[in-house]
Amino acid sequence: MKPKSLQDPSTVSSGELKTPCDAADMPASAAADTSAAPSHWRSLAELDNDPEFREFVAREFKTPLEEMPLSSKGRRRFMQLMGASFALAGCRWKEDKLLPFSERPEGFVPGEPVFYATAMDIAGVATGLWAKSFDGRPIKIEGNPNSASSLGATNTYHQGSILGLYDPDRSQQVVRRAGQRTPSSWADFDRAAGELIAQARAAGGRGVAVLSEASSSPTLASLRSRFLQAMPQATWVAYEPSHSASAEQGIELAFGQRLRAVLAPERADVLVSLDADLLCPSTDGGLAYSRAIASRRDPSGSMSRIYAVESSITEIGSMADHRVALRASQIAAVVAYLDAELSAQARPPAALGAAQPRPDAKFLEDAGVKKVLDVIVKDLLAHRGSSLITVGSRQPAEVHAVVHRLNTLLGNVGKTIRYVEEADRISGGAADLAALVAEIEAGRVETLLILGGNPVYNAPVDVPFAAALGKVKNSIRLGLYEDETSRLCTWHVPQAHYLEAWGDARAFDGTVLIAQPTIAPLHGGRSAIELIAGLLGLPRTSGQDLVRATHDASDDKVWRRAVHDGTLGSAALAVEPVLRPIASMTLTEAALGSADGIDKLELVLELDPAVHDGRFANNGWLQEMSHPLTKISWGNALMIAPITAERLGLRDGFLATLTLEGRSVELPVAFTPGQAPGTLTVNLGYGRKVAGRVGGLVDEDVEVVGTDTYALFTAKAGAIAVGATVTPLNRRPDVLANTQDLYAIDDIGARGRDERLPQLLRETTLSDYQAHPEVIKHKVHHPPRLNLWHDPVSYDGHKWGMAIDLNKCTGCNACVIACAAENNTPVVGKHEVARGREMNWLRVERYFKGDREQADARQMPVLCMQCENAPCEQVCPVGATLHSSEGLNDMVYNRCIGTRYCSNNCPYKVRRFNYRNYNLDVYGTTPYTGTDDPRAKLRSMAFNPDVTVRGRGVMEKCTFCVQRIQNVKIKAKNARRPVEDGEIKTACEQACPTGAYVFGDLNDKKSRVAKAHGEPRAYELLQELNNRTRVQYLARISNPHPELATEDGHSERH
Amino acid sequence: MAIASDINPYQGALKGDNAFAQITDNVSRIMEAPKPPRAWYIAMGFSLMLLAMFGASLGFVVWEGIGAWGHIHPVAWGFPIVNFVFWVGIGHAGTLISAILFLLRQNWRTAINRFAEAMTIFAVICAAIFPGVHIGRPWLPYWMTPIPNQMGMWPQFRSPLEWDIFAVGTYATVSILFWYMGMIPDFATFRDRSKTTVRRLVYGLLAMGWRGSSRQWHRYERAYLLLAALATPLVLSVHSVVSFDFATSQLPGWHTTIFPPYFVAGAIFGGFAMVVVLAVPSRQFFGLKRIITMRHLELMSKIILATGMLVGYAYGMEMFIAWYSGAIYEQFAFVNRAFGNYGWAYWTMIFCNVLAPQVFWSKKMRTNVWVIFFVGVLVNVGMWFERFVIICTSLARDFLPANWGYFVPSVVDYATLAGSFGLFFTLFLLFCRYIPMVAMAEMKAFIPEGHAHDH
Repeated sequence: MKPKSLQDPSTVSSGELKTPCDAADMPASAAADTSAAPSHWRSLAELDNDPEFREFVAREFKTPLEEMPLSSKGRRRFMQLMGASFALAGCRWKEDKLLPFSERPEGFVPGEPVFYATAMDIAGVATGLWAKSFDGRPIKIEGNPNSASSLGATNTYHQGSILGLYDPDRSQQVVRRAGQRTPSSWADFDRAAGELIAQARAAGGRGVAVLSEASSSPTLASLRSRFLQAMPQATWVAYEPSHSASAEQGIELAFGQRLRAVLAPERADVLVSLDADLLCPSTDGGLAYSRAIASRRDPSGSMSRIYAVESSITEIGSMADHRVALRASQIAAVVAYLDAELSAQARPPAALGAAQPRPDAKFLEDAGVKKVLDVIVKDLLAHRGSSLITVGSRQPAEVHAVVHRLNTLLGNVGKTIRYVEEADRISGGAADLAALVAEIEAGRVETLLILGGNPVYNAPVDVPFAAALGKVKNSIRLGLYEDETSRLCTWHVPQAHYLEAWGDARAFDGTVLIAQPTIAPLHGGRSAIELIAGLLGLPRTSGQDLVRATHDASDDKVWRRAVHDGTLGSAALAVEPVLRPIASMTLTEAALGSADGIDKLELVLELDPAVHDGRFANNGWLQEMSHPLTKISWGNALMIAPITAERLGLRDGFLATLTLEGRSVELPVAFTPGQAPGTLTVNLGYGRKVAGRVGGLVDEDVEVVGTDTYALFTAKAGAIAVGATVTPLNRRPDVLANTQDLYAIDDIGARGRDERLPQLLRETTLSDYQAHPEVIKHKVHHPPRLNLWHDPVSYDGHKWGMAIDLNKCTGCNACVIACAAENNTPVVGKHEVARGREMNWLRVERYFKGDREQADARQMPVLCMQCENAPCEQVCPVGATLHSSEGLNDMVYNRCIGTRYCSNNCPYKVRRFNYRNYNLDVYGTTPYTGTDDPRAKLRSMAFNPDVTVRGRGVMEKCTFCVQRIQNVKIKAKNARRPVEDGEIKTACEQACPTGAYVFGDLNDKKSRVAKAHGEPRAYELLQELNNRTRVQYLARISNPHPELATEDGHSERH
Repeated sequence: MAIASDINPYQGALKGDNAFAQITDNVSRIMEAPKPPRAWYIAMGFSLMLLAMFGASLGFVVWEGIGAWGHIHPVAWGFPIVNFVFWVGIGHAGTLISAILFLLRQNWRTAINRFAEAMTIFAVICAAIFPGVHIGRPWLPYWMTPIPNQMGMWPQFRSPLEWDIFAVGTYATVSILFWYMGMIPDFATFRDRSKTTVRRLVYGLLAMGWRGSSRQWHRYERAYLLLAALATPLVLSVHSVVSFDFATSQLPGWHTTIFPPYFVAGAIFGGFAMVVVLAVPSRQFFGLKRIITMRHLELMSKIILATGMLVGYAYGMEMFIAWYSGAIYEQFAFVNRAFGNYGWAYWTMIFCNVLAPQVFWSKKMRTNVWVIFFVGVLVNVGMWFERFVIICTSLARDFLPANWGYFVPSVVDYATLAGSFGLFFTLFLLFCRYIPMVAMAEMKAFIPEGHAHDH
């Protein structure tokens, strides 16, 4: 979908737009501007130009709002005031940039969405986005197709961020803590901070430290330089729990300079992923790589071959043609083995040194592993210049270095991988934090400024940051939430959400992304750059000025173009680095890891696909999203292979105690076939005690979600720790909110599942498919599908349909959150999810293929199939679900009385029922009642106004985003042109990083969807039921190496 | 029973010097006694307690939303529909006894037909409550009825739920008519024997001016015969239609052509079991042993045995057809039903419905009131489980394994189930006390004295 018009709010200045608020301010400015006495005056004070009077006039209220006495329930009172002032939004803020219109500007149509380019930076990973805004209210995030970092796609975090914007638990005021919590104001803060900085400047910055989260923002980086210039003795440290120094160090080891690797996996015929997940949302460039890799997974084109060697099933692992489950600590040996083999055959120049000594790790002798590795070597050598090896960021620096060496030896540099100069980025990890703590302990830090992050919660357990923070005299925290860290700081100041502030970021390929605000800060927050600029006393501290100055965009036209596009400049130029000899990167015996077997448990701590490092813990959409592998929502679990678990006496879904170096946590066990034997994977980011009313708030008795596994996260061991122990607990967690059965179910169920899966999730190998294209259709045999009746609908006009390519789906869940955001599906909470009552219209089904020891994951999105012969329509007694002339299976919410018969008769069970008044429970408002609760009002701002908000007792389901269809149709009709293929994008399709969804008109024979349905690998789910689904799946076609191919698919019967 | 006879006003000698008078006395004194036996009060207290619980739990459901019930995502129909089908099934025996046995000239039915019919009506009342409150918006069930309205909304007649509305509605109407019409001569007897004005007035109104003239008797018997003929197809239709809710769907375990006869057999089976469960204590406490004799109980036991075997055959045939169909989903549904995670429910059902009635092969057993009562209770439990097994276990594991779930009832589920028994027993106890429990007039026509012409 193209944006109707991209507007640049920077052009919307108060000069052009008169509002009632402006009029009210007029006397003030008049009074301020005239130094001479006015000719007409209202009072003697005015005549005297009394400063007190000037201030009085300048103030909006008699008592400034921020000084109004707030009761002990300050936040609530504040929210009431907030709620009242929403209607007058714009009046409350002194900033003059974003104001409501009093006259409709040309080209602005109320109720028509406008897309603004913006960018989101999550732990230094930046993505260019579009914010869809209705009448000045952003309601949906889409990818910016002009940005290489997105290509139009988004991930779960981006989709969820819109809910975060309207989170009423976000920090709403400046707070001072001197013994007790005192609400304060920006004015007080500015005064106090100004004094502190003035003193610090005088002392050359001694005693001042800044601790920030990772950021790719060039403006923040330049402000850091200015900060350190102004205060040379100050320190600036960054800490991000996910930070891995080894990737950066690895490149330095390999090439002797600091570079950044940018991949082009679309050119790789052979892709070897070693404990890496290129597609993961926390990988920089993950969205671009997803699209690139998926583009090579079309069996009618030239298909790539993917090998994955990894401990836990990653997104790329579920896509891989060959996957070997191996301990993360044994990857080094694999790399050494590959180097030994490849160097021997690729014959590097003598200067580079001979190969690694071939490691003697025992597991390499394992027939299965060795066979795959040998094939990998063969395949890589056969595809020099069109292969790519990637390695996970948590692997040691030497391993990274050797991988760069291998890519260089294979001639991949400049083809599938290029190196660019690393820009000035703010990043840091546990070591940096430890250094800061040492400084504090030594009494050398008096003033600490914490920008974002949440180090009190997510610091490694062996870095006593919380204790150290208590020793700092003045600690200032800029945060979106008044969280664990803010509670230990002397000042907390609210941070502006990324949708509320000007900003910039740098994408993985080096392009600059410009972010414009889409709404004035709801709670008066400031961005990090504004805060730092203010502290430095820079003359111009507005976000826009700062960002514009950084990029030297003095030309208005250039700047407006950049703001409009969201991107500035082009990708960084590739450099040609010179590989250093092997000596610099030889893997030591220690680095090669041990030959630990299944009995020595290895623990891998990972960022969570839903809540990241904990920063999204208060986001209901993301909390409710189930983990791609365990299918557990609202919490984390201990992922462990069934064979390892049984050896330890663990039971699926039961609790266990996980201990590492004397520290232990309790977690539910989730049997995860495909996990390497003897390994444990656990997600970080849960167990927040001061997250909010969604993620846990101990003070207010809000249940803490999940288990805090930072208790096991040490700076020493990092993300991979060996020597964990697990002991079973003979009880279940109170609630386990899994959206799919646990792996370990009764034998009958397991047998039934395994029997039907080949028919439901069809797959075969490329060679089989090419030899017998009909193989997919023949997975199920059934009598001819006849109908007793004629079609009630002719489908003369449009005939909407969808194709879902199982070759491309990675199970990332972006579509699930996009659907929730687009279609106002409510969050139901942990207890309701445990009853299967989650309201997501779209789910991703996860299945395992293989046996208990070697298994791969398969992901399959399921949404309403929009059957032509819909079983739901026939059984509704009140006719609340009907067939449209375009083949949509429409749901008439206000006709539905909630018999739920349609759900029972739906073989796909894609209908979701409002068992409770979820919108009332969760948002505090319902379509029936409305609300006066300011919290609820704020949250309900996230609703998409194009979609009905459903109340209790009605059935709902996927509509193929009918509102999007209608909007495009209206537009096309007004322009007297047909709807173009691809013009309508459903929310899932638009978000999908790999392009697995294709939506379009089946009557248009040239449409992508019609072509997809025409492919021999297209099949209907449960076609034997003769529902004639409008969604067809494209079977998963794998491309195994001939030497490793197993018989799978077409039998001789055909 | 010595103590019972002391406090039970219904155990004494019957007044009257001939069989006709004694029948009248035997039935009428239940209403005429100043106080019913203590057992009645205890039972009534207990029933009212359950009824209050029913009201409270349904009120909670309407207030809170039907999420108060334990439904999970794949199992969108849980206890309410199980209870609905269960209660509709219970109703069957009443119509069968009153209509079919009447047409077949099974004169022994006169001893039990009245309260079997009463049971039918009360069971249908219990049943009718559930579909109304199980829907998501319980204030709108009337949208299922074809009421002309300005919005032009009309029901969707392809839906089996719509058929249910008519099937159950017709059934309830005809049953009430049939029941009430049969009672008119007996109400007249009550009226004539009443000693207080209120009673005379109420029973007088209910008797609709019955004077017992031969013309009235002639009209009455014609009408009774016609209503019996009208009610007969309903015995077959109502549960067949209820079974269409399941049989016409696509769900493995529901989509079965055997359902209509299987449901009807099951309903009669369960209905008769409920009749014996009610008859055994009633004849004891209300002194009706000479009217509801052991022969009646024995005959009903035989019917329970026969219909139980039919139901057992249906269970076996379902399994066979599932295997024979070759459809993997169908096969799985039945294997899973018996051996999967709901196996306990299936085997409870088999034990109660197939094995328990087998004791009735023995004459000794089917003439022992305790055994009859106990088997009757078991069969009711079994029939409830049958509906649970069909509805819940089929839904819990359907086509796509990702949807599978395990239904666990909530407190409200149990409260409404128990509460519906409260409603049923409350109505039944009121019936026993205030309405002629046995069809006196009909009874008299078939006692030997009724055929004596020689005095």
